[in-house]
Amino acid sequence: MSDRVAVESSTEIPPPEWGRRSAAPPAAPRLFALLAALLVVGRLVLTPLLTAPALQTWATVFVAICVQALPFLVFGVLLSAAIAAFVPPSFWTKALPRNPYAAVPVAGAAGAVLPGCECASVPVASGLMSRGVTPAAALAFLLSSPAVNPVVVVATAVAFPGQPMMAVARFAASLLVAVAAGWLWLRFGRSSWLRVPSRTARGGSKWAEFRDAMRHDLLHAGGFLVIGGITAATLNVIVPRTWLASVAGVPVLSAVVLALLAVVLSICSEADAFVAASLTAFSPTAKLAFLVVGPMVDLKLIALQAGTFGRAFAMRFVPLTFLLAVMVSSALGGVLL
Amino acid sequence: MSRMSQSLVLTLLGGVVLWITALTRSYLNYVKPGFRPFLLAAGVVVLALGIIGLVQEWRRPYANAHDEHVHEQRGKHAEGHDHTQAPKVGWLLSLPVFAIILIAPPALGAFAARGEDAPIRPPATAGSYVPLSGEKITPMAVGEFIGRAWDFRKRTLTGKKVRLTGFVVRSKKKDRWYVTRMQMSCCAADAIALKVAVLGAAPPPDDTWVEVTGTWVPPRSRKIPNGTVPPEMTAGRVTQIPQPSEPYE
Repeated sequence: MSDRVAVESSTEIPPPEWGRRSAAPPAAPRLFALLAALLVVGRLVLTPLLTAPALQTWATVFVAICVQALPFLVFGVLLSAAIAAFVPPSFWTKALPRNPYAAVPVAGAAGAVLPGCECASVPVASGLMSRGVTPAAALAFLLSSPAVNPVVVVATAVAFPGQPMMAVARFAASLLVAVAAGWLWLRFGRSSWLRVPSRTARGGSKWAEFRDAMRHDLLHAGGFLVIGGITAATLNVIVPRTWLASVAGVPVLSAVVLALLAVVLSICSEADAFVAASLTAFSPTAKLAFLVVGPMVDLKLIALQAGTFGRAFAMRFVPLTFLLAVMVSSALGGVLL
Repeated sequence: MSRMSQSLVLTLLGGVVLWITALTRSYLNYVKPGFRPFLLAAGVVVLALGIIGLVQEWRRPYANAHDEHVHEQRGKHAEGHDHTQAPKVGWLLSLPVFAIILIAPPALGAFAARGEDAPIRPPATAGSYVPLSGEKITPMAVGEFIGRAWDFRKRTLTGKKVRLTGFVVRSKKKDRWYVTRMQMSCCAADAIALKVAVLGAAPPPDDTWVEVTGTWVPPRSRKIPNGTVPPEMTAGRVTQIPQPSEPYE
């Protein structure tokens, strides 16, 4: 039973509250005015007090992560809500191969056409699952789309001038990891681990459904993004980067350390190539590990995935992806770079 | 979260994003200038969603109280399944709003750039620099100065007067302080400090923005690898300036 029907029926037949209309005025404008006033007072009273450099630095990094991710999140949520509201479920069963093992690589390769970063891919993947797409295929898409889309490939090529193989290796390694993770999930994953977000079919216009889906997804994904942002900002301020320099020369360890750095920094996949390029002390293979892990596993993504698909899912999927990403990029880096 | 709280949080978030992007330039403390159109678009979408929701709530006042109650009841059982009901985690989206308004985070400064022996990376543009004029004072980005200073063979800086703009980071060593600029590739989370040691001038307080005019001091030993110590310059003149509108390099 949907709410909208409940609301509409209560407008048609005057409910008992009818007479109380003047007694209970709408709370929205008052609450809004109150909050706005509190914020203005806080700005005048509190801001001059909150000037500890550590707090300010933390707040700058935290706000930067949120502000930077917001447009991508909004884009992903728009796309996901559009899929939920306007694309009929039958489209997906036609577009993807019946056999789930064949659907995984197709979905992974489909990630190459969607420009967006990892914040966008979580809501889109959850939208796909709730539309009946095999979870493993949606997961392959989730992993591949932030790493293999044209914007990221071009950014990587620009960040590594004279090293075209870096972009190639990143594309190949990311796609491989995405497909492998999808297949492994298909083979060994249990449906009880994964909470597929269900969408109740609702009455009302497509646009109302679109707006409701967007508002819901934005708040949901945004809330978890904030958790990731808080964690990343805290580690950013606490952990000195000098710790990294000491391991740059060690072959296998350096790849693992850069992979862990990618997890901690939670940089958007469209920008991480420039950060990787600047880590000059590290080997190309270690940088590749940074570029492959970053879009697939990072703090804000872990929070987003745990929130969207459930903790049981994130506990298994995150380590699986991390291990696969480090192994594949070490192997490919050895061959290609 | 009831529909009204959802709309309220979104309105605040969209409003604050538009405030730092369209009305002030403080978004430059967090992201690159080129990011502005995306932020504007996102702010407009979020604000519109919030305002449409608020207006809808406002327009059906008597259904409101009743409806709200029903929602609360349902929310306990069917969290996350019903789209008019958002999970409580959505409240967290008000944290960036509070952080922006109450803390008003400034651009990263001396606290973030601290760490005497932090690794310094070469600027991305290293390689092709135009020759400098011998007479005039050349204004230069801190990153370019470091890039040129590391290019030992060409020695394009020798004897040239340059002017660097940055903020002050004081050093533990008595004879120097650093003129510093943060460089970011995407947002402040990935910013790193580019430092040039200034010799022969009294240190202004931390975080003061200055213009330093001076010449490069070639390192005494060539054996020190690039990136382990900041390049040095002697200061001819140090002028205090207000913070530039684009604080990052």
